[in-house]
Amino acid sequence: MNGRIIGIVVIVLFITLFSLVIALGGLGYDLPMERVRLIARTYLSIAYNPFNRNYTVMSPEVVTSIVWDFRGLDTLFETVVFYLAIIGSVVLARGLKSSPPEKKIESYGLSLIVKTVTRITIGMIIAIAASIALHGHLTPGGGFQGGAVAAIAPLLVLVIFSRYYLENLGVKKNVMLAIRSIGLLGIGLTGFSVLLIGLFSGVNAYVFQNQPKPGAPVGLPYKFNGALISGTLWFFNLFEMMAVAAGFTIVFLLLSIPERDVLEQLKEEADKH
Amino acid sequence: MINVDPITYLYTVLLLSMAVNLGIALYGIFYRPSLIKKIIALTIFSDTANTFAIIIGYTRWASPSKPVQPPVLTKLNVTRQDITEFASNAVDPLPQALVLTAIVIGLAVTLFLVFLTLQIYRLYKTTDVREIARLRG
Repeated sequence: MNGRIIGIVVIVLFITLFSLVIALGGLGYDLPMERVRLIARTYLSIAYNPFNRNYTVMSPEVVTSIVWDFRGLDTLFETVVFYLAIIGSVVLARGLKSSPPEKKIESYGLSLIVKTVTRITIGMIIAIAASIALHGHLTPGGGFQGGAVAAIAPLLVLVIFSRYYLENLGVKKNVMLAIRSIGLLGIGLTGFSVLLIGLFSGVNAYVFQNQPKPGAPVGLPYKFNGALISGTLWFFNLFEMMAVAAGFTIVFLLLSIPERDVLEQLKEEADKH
Repeated sequence: MINVDPITYLYTVLLLSMAVNLGIALYGIFYRPSLIKKIIALTIFSDTANTFAIIIGYTRWASPSKPVQPPVLTKLNVTRQDITEFASNAVDPLPQALVLTAIVIGLAVTLFLVFLTLQIYRLYKTTDVREIARLRG
């Protein structure tokens, strides 16, 4: 009972103090502020600036420029955290297998109408996901958002058809782990690409560099065949989409193992010890 | 009678409601015994924190006919003046980029927590923290 009272006091204090900070202008007396901070103005004015080729990213989408160029290392470590969380889930579910199907695979799942509509919409979902990810340097969106959208497609198949149908299509845990590893490897290689170019051409270059910078005059081309790709951003978005989509699919596959099979396997394991 | 700008007033109400939301989420995390409800409260908490971060980056309209712009440049054949205008009109992109990062990490951590809870339920047949704390061995 004592703990409860203390907790309530803590929460009330938290709310009061937080409100006080806001009311007294911890964020400035004028709310919302008249103009953005200086660092934001800098980002906004150099993200796409053909007149300032020394610092620009050549991407009109400022958020993606920050995510993969100005603060690229932050995003790299964020990808690492994401990777560890997925690996943690895989480790928790190690050795769990679902039993073979008891009847014909087509007879599992919902009705024919739902299945047909799903077949049509899955193509659209994948197309939208690819559009969000591959246009990430031009329009709002990017690798994470595209990957999260793409992961909806296997989830739909899982619910509306069955786990067996999805595995028959080739979407298995190990295949997804492989795609995920290719994505992560691609992110690593893209991060080192300009450094490698610099090493081979004998000039100074940095890890996670995109466009030429003062003192490091190499970079990936920002246009490919007339289309804007903003150097490394396009590749980062592509590989991040692969990694995120495959990572979520692994977790969905593991969560969909029938409870009956899991309990049996846990029981067998307990009997062995 | 204090003279308050209506926009500042509404904005303060918005921020206060979010502080209350944070408090409710904290209550859920501390006092709901079910692990699932704790996870739901945690997602409410992180979503409120994310919204708060985005709102910090919002700026006041220059005039009623000149709204603020999202941080995306809409044309590629730009002049210097276009870029200056864009930089003075757009909202702060930095909180948006950080929130994007936070959302993805939050999603992954939530998935992991859900998995952990599922495993606890499979092993102990309960998600009530009081009963889990009472278990021995």
